[in-house]
Amino acid sequence: MTDEREITLTVNGTEHTIEVEPRRLLVHAIREDLDMTGTHIGCDTGNCGACTVLKDGEPIKSCLMFAAQADGAEILTVEGMEDLPEADDIHPLQEGFREEHGLQCGYCTPGMLMAGKALLDEHPDPDEETIRDAISGNLCRCTGYQNIVRSIEYAADELENRAAADGGAVATDGTADAEPAASPEGGHATPEFGGDADTFCGREDCCGGPDGADPFDRDALLDDAGDGDGTGDADGRDDADAGADATDRGDTK
Amino acid sequence: MKSAPFEHHEPDTVDEAVSLLESLDDPTILAGGQSLVPMLRFRLANPDVVVDINGIDSLDYLREEDGSLRLGALARHADVEDSDLIDGEYGSFADAAPLVADPQIRNRGTVVGSVAQADPKGDWGSILLAHEGEVIATGPDGDRAIPADEFFLLPYDTTLGEQELITEIRVPAPGPNEGSAYHKLKRKTGDYAMAGVGARLVFDDGVIESAGIGMTAVDITNARATDAEEHLEGERPSPDLFAKAGELAAEQSNPESDEHGGADYKERMVDVLAQRALSDAAERAGTVTVERRVTQ
Repeated sequence: MTDEREITLTVNGTEHTIEVEPRRLLVHAIREDLDMTGTHIGCDTGNCGACTVLKDGEPIKSCLMFAAQADGAEILTVEGMEDLPEADDIHPLQEGFREEHGLQCGYCTPGMLMAGKALLDEHPDPDEETIRDAISGNLCRCTGYQNIVRSIEYAADELENRAAADGGAVATDGTADAEPAASPEGGHATPEFGGDADTFCGREDCCGGPDGADPFDRDALLDDAGDGDGTGDADGRDDADAGADATDRGDTK
Repeated sequence: MKSAPFEHHEPDTVDEAVSLLESLDDPTILAGGQSLVPMLRFRLANPDVVVDINGIDSLDYLREEDGSLRLGALARHADVEDSDLIDGEYGSFADAAPLVADPQIRNRGTVVGSVAQADPKGDWGSILLAHEGEVIATGPDGDRAIPADEFFLLPYDTTLGEQELITEIRVPAPGPNEGSAYHKLKRKTGDYAMAGVGARLVFDDGVIESAGIGMTAVDITNARATDAEEHLEGERPSPDLFAKAGELAAEQSNPESDEHGGADYKERMVDVLAQRALSDAAERAGTVTVERRVTQ
């Protein structure tokens, strides 16, 4: 009954052969047998999406699949993102989460990044609704999702800008970004959180330009929060359309 | 939590799967696994043997053939969501697919597995009922077609034999005067339905020739609203007709109160969802546009 069998998983481009029991979950194989703990286990029920990985390019929940079922598959985990062709130092999605404050505790982030990667592979220029749909299987209890959506938008813009810089390729629908061009450093910050002078994009209220807030000036931010200037993100808390109550079992058909 | 240990079999063909079901003691069939894997992990299911059908390539299809839409046992929710055939002709399927759980689960979970699971909150059972479809079970004696009406017995219990594998579900391909729709109320994205209604209408010269209505999460199984169906047949569509059908469907439903809503509320939602689904189905049939009496 406890017979182990040999399986081969290609994780982030490296082939691994391991022995697993049939009941070994893919997420446990990744975390415990391969020692890649970037993929998280959040809920144990298939709800939270922290264990999301790409299997043969498709996002799946690695806690809802046995390792033996992934025998021969190509798996991408968060550890592999920085080595992807579109990554520079880190992946544009990771950069987006850093720039747009797409995480607080960070627990959901690996899953969010994988869901975001799957989305951008298929829809390089997603609208907000498409982004929210794409991360609807991933729960975040901190951010209220607003900044996660912005982080993925940032990555989409960044990838588009790089493609354009690499030879004029624009989004497949032919629509170039109408916003002011981003700096070579990579995009402009939102009006809520200004970037520093090095990445100033030249736009009012943005990137530390005239009236733009210094993101590290906490007092100024707190002052601004009450004046309807949009500095705070209080409206984000309740917008949980993409979220769920972690105590509830979702539809796991 | 880990599953209890089990033997894992991975047949390559339907014949092989069926002979495993025949020869092994207490086997459980694993398809998409999006319900079964958590059940195994919580030890709500403790089979000694798991027959994993994911390697049976011949079951991976979604196609029209001989006048029916056929979904093989490995057609995933995402396959339905992405299908041009579905998008163009099967309104109820196109409505339901993106409402099932979330993208990751839709990539793995199968339509047939959902039907086999027979959770009264599952969406596909209602659609199968509304379309008067069939479940094709393959066993030691070959195939048999089980009408959707005769398939669901109790929550998680069906008339499938112990040595049978569901290889396909099928529904009649729509004629030019047919339309269908599915409406679902859920507390938030990705949830099971609090209530859901699938409707299919076939018209003949502006008159409803045949109506099918399936209800989700408002009875012990997916259930047909037969009183409403009978009321619709032979009539011309109108807001009053659909309002009465909604009322009859609500009366025939049998929801339970829970933390998300009382039984009265859910009955009222069956009424509303039935009217919306009927209205969409009529419009998609291309015959008429019926103003909704219930506002969105």
